[in-house]
Amino acid sequence: MPIFRWEQSWNPLRDLEREVDRLIQGVEFSVQGIRMPRQYPAVNIFELDHEFLITAELPGMQVEDLDLTIANGVLTLKGHRNPPVIDEGEIPEERFRRQERPFGEWQRSISIPDRISEEHLSAEFNDGVLKIHLPKLEEELPRQIPVSSGE
Amino acid sequence: MSRQPNSDEPREIAHPEQFVFTPPIDIYETEQGLVLYADLPGVSVNSLELQVQDNKLTLLGRVEPQIPEGARPLHKEYEVGNYLRSFILSGEIIHSQIEAKLANGVLRIFLPKAPKAEPRRIQVNTG
Repeated sequence: MPIFRWEQSWNPLRDLEREVDRLIQGVEFSVQGIRMPRQYPAVNIFELDHEFLITAELPGMQVEDLDLTIANGVLTLKGHRNPPVIDEGEIPEERFRRQERPFGEWQRSISIPDRISEEHLSAEFNDGVLKIHLPKLEEELPRQIPVSSGE
Repeated sequence: MSRQPNSDEPREIAHPEQFVFTPPIDIYETEQGLVLYADLPGVSVNSLELQVQDNKLTLLGRVEPQIPEGARPLHKEYEVGNYLRSFILSGEIIHSQIEAKLANGVLRIFLPKAPKAEPRRIQVNTG
């Protein structure tokens, strides 16, 4: 019989699904709960030679509902995610058997790790994943400052 | 230990060996059936497998890392991995008429219910 791990005891039903899967398939796999407390949206930041790349998971968002602004080295992402019932009209609460997906207003600010070219910032949104490209500023060459004597 | 699929058996969804996540879902009931929404960011129509076998519905969304080569992670809040979730369907769902649509990383599955049979009066004859 499978024994539930204590740290996941808050959701026995989901654990049961996993354990059933594991028993049926006989395959071990690593699992990480997606509902661990974390900021929304979850972001990853990468550095490349010529740019910084920020990725954010935003399933169900529409491009027109995304608002990206940058000021003083802080990038702000804002948006609103509609509840799932938008296509079908209002669904009474008691009709829901399960409701796990977050919705509502959200906002997140991210400090940019280095100097970037704010005018050349670009973003793309595919399959619910937002990618923001932040090109690095060209390194400025040291500039000689002439010193005049006080004579 | 994994079973090898047989050509004349329904294909078994292979479990990937990297990160596997349980996607968050909403399920609600309408007169016509059940509607299920699942968040699957990074999954496209080509990388989604949905399967009904016996009374078990399995969804597997495969996510390929889309980060260019040589990108150095500075900050990481989520892992890229696949999504897997299984559901046991009740007998009243018409399996052959399940519909699914994927848009912007959200999967919507409609599970139609068979209409309830009208109660039929049974004549009792006297012996």
